[in-house]
Amino acid sequence: TVEPLEYYRRFLKENCRPDGRELGEFRTTTVNIGSITTADGSALVKLGNTTVICGVKAELAAPAADSANKGYIVPNVELPSLCAERFRSGPPGEEAQAASQFIADVIENSQMIVKEDLCIANGKLAWVLYCDIICLDYDGNLLDASVFALLAALKNVQLPLVTINEETGLSEVNLKQKNPLLIRKHPVATSFAVFDDTLLIVDPTAEEEDLATGTVTIVTDEEGRLCSVHKPGGSPLTGAKLQDCITRAITRHKEVKKLIDKVIKSITPK
Amino acid sequence: MRRRAARRPRPWWGSGAARDLLLLPAQYDEDAEGDGCGSARAERRRGAAVRAGAAALRAGLLVTKCGLLRHRPAGGGAFWVDSQQKRYVPVKGDHVIGIVTAKAGDVFRLDVGGSEPASLSYLAFEGATKRNRPNVQVGDLIYGQFLVANKDMEPEMVCIDSSGKSSGMGIIGQDGFLFKVSLGLIRKLLAPKCEIIQELSQLYPFELVLGMNGRIWVKAKTVQQTLIIVNILEACEYMSAEQRKQALAKLSGNR
Amino acid sequence: MAAVMAVESGQSRLRPFSCELGLLSRPDGRATFLQGVTPSVLAGLYGPVEAKISKELPDRAALEVLLRPKVGLPGVLERSREQLLRQTCEAVVLGALHPRTAITLVLQVLSDASLLSCCLNAACMALLDAGLPLAALFCGVTCALQPDGSVLLDPTARQEQEARAILTFAIGSSERKVLMATTKGSCSVEEMQQCLAAAQGAADTIFQFYRDSVRRRYCKS
Repeated sequence: TVEPLEYYRRFLKENCRPDGRELGEFRTTTVNIGSITTADGSALVKLGNTTVICGVKAELAAPAADSANKGYIVPNVELPSLCAERFRSGPPGEEAQAASQFIADVIENSQMIVKEDLCIANGKLAWVLYCDIICLDYDGNLLDASVFALLAALKNVQLPLVTINEETGLSEVNLKQKNPLLIRKHPVATSFAVFDDTLLIVDPTAEEEDLATGTVTIVTDEEGRLCSVHKPGGSPLTGAKLQDCITRAITRHKEVKKLIDKVIKSITPK
Repeated sequence: MRRRAARRPRPWWGSGAARDLLLLPAQYDEDAEGDGCGSARAERRRGAAVRAGAAALRAGLLVTKCGLLRHRPAGGGAFWVDSQQKRYVPVKGDHVIGIVTAKAGDVFRLDVGGSEPASLSYLAFEGATKRNRPNVQVGDLIYGQFLVANKDMEPEMVCIDSSGKSSGMGIIGQDGFLFKVSLGLIRKLLAPKCEIIQELSQLYPFELVLGMNGRIWVKAKTVQQTLIIVNILEACEYMSAEQRKQALAKLSGNR
Repeated sequence: MAAVMAVESGQSRLRPFSCELGLLSRPDGRATFLQGVTPSVLAGLYGPVEAKISKELPDRAALEVLLRPKVGLPGVLERSREQLLRQTCEAVVLGALHPRTAITLVLQVLSDASLLSCCLNAACMALLDAGLPLAALFCGVTCALQPDGSVLLDPTARQEQEARAILTFAIGSSERKVLMATTKGSCSVEEMQQCLAAAQGAADTIFQFYRDSVRRRYCKS
């Protein structure tokens, strides 16, 4: 299109978007759990064309000196040059680093995994969960898909039982007996794009993100509490508009939770 | 005292009635509308940005820089925001001092302190023809004015005015000292009956070229005198009038 | 030249802060934001200057923010803050007036307990000092939610650690709209609206402070 903004405005005036969605409608969300057998937990999430895969690997390490009863969760978001033209190969760019920080904040704020649960022996041994989130196809709304993939992958993780032998002091890993992780909260992210300072559209595609004048991401948990309000600059919003976003995010949370429960249930009789 | 008056452009804004109204960005300029001075046409952008363009988006004018509101009643009325700045942005018609950085065929590239180098054609000097080229080397100082200066194009300078006369523009001679000050100080120095210039001229004879891009070129009889004038002008940014008078009195006493 | 804001520090007021404009000699716009008497953040702005061909944008200025921590090299946290600052500044700077140029803002953190709101305030003052065309001003306000549910503005480092949630807002000067929001810890929707309302109230104090510091600078000459 020669004038992409005008093209979009014509659609937005009729309260719909070029791909046929309403302003408040999400793209088809599909999730596939346990596809990577070498990882302790994995999930592949497709939000329309945006494809994000999350793999969780669990390793053992000694806890830090100042927090002897806490394990570690290390999220890392990667945007390889495969997913979109504008990402070059090399050290992670600003967008990947900002997304990694956002995921780390969501885990911390929502307390979905309490680090004390990852501790095996106080001061001696704890779990480290390396969560690698890799975007395979970037078509907008990376943060929503990443949070969803992380949540699904963590629900899929099975940790073997580890005991410390009293006499030798070494750890014994029992691969036959596996327990799932205790996930206390289920945060779900909802992203909005702001157009022309007034219009809010949900789940933007890559094109819409480029034309938008700002973005907002709201992360809620199942009790309706806000885990994160992430509005990195962009056009100013009134408190009322922010409230609209939050209400929509809470509705979205219910849909996503249902989807995750359905998928988990379908694979548990293993 | 020898001063090349031709090198000082006449300031167009006159002595603005100090209306001392401090404006910050995102304020509506209600006074301009209240006065009804045809201000939509009349605003000029001298370090100012009382944007007529923004009127298309909102009703009224939007202030985009912080500074004092000034008003000139003559000639249809003009309002502008007098702000202090260090970085120069080329404006058409401004007289500036440029440093020649490269010769590319028929065109010289000049550094004027903006975001892009300006271009100066060799024919834009008084009496220059294809046979009679001006003797300009890399590193020379040129005093000229902008013919073309907008945000979309590379700025172009010329050293002749519309009638083909140089009127003080051209290559600035050898020796002397070039230094940079803030744009607000330049505007103060260019005001008619500027006290600083008058007091300095009592001290030593000197030549002075002021460029609107914040550059000043000074030449006095000896290097020491030149440096003294340079230091006083640089310090004028921060000194009050009394401190300056004191410093000058000390200097003229020492002579 | 310094301007000091003496506001009594209390539960719903801001701590005393002050700002110095024009401390560094080389940058086009410079500001130091002090929390009490300790310098907190130093900001230097260069622009509009010539941009590298790979980074220049054809229709507006390319804004870049570099945030340097007090110790160590900049990490992922600094990068994410740089993104927040950059997009906030991009929303107010009229970059369309300077296409194909670059504007660089460098922030140096000087104290240990530096909040994102100090960086925001220093950035806005540096933008004002440089004389870049702005569509609006913004200010940064941090609110802490105490464990008992009360809202505390501008927390100290100790209060930050004890708080249940920290919310940082950048409030615009026209109509007090929210330019940037980021939260740490979880809170309910009502609590967030409360914090937002408190932040919008405190923003008036900070904008008045901007006005006073700029007035000192201009009316001195």
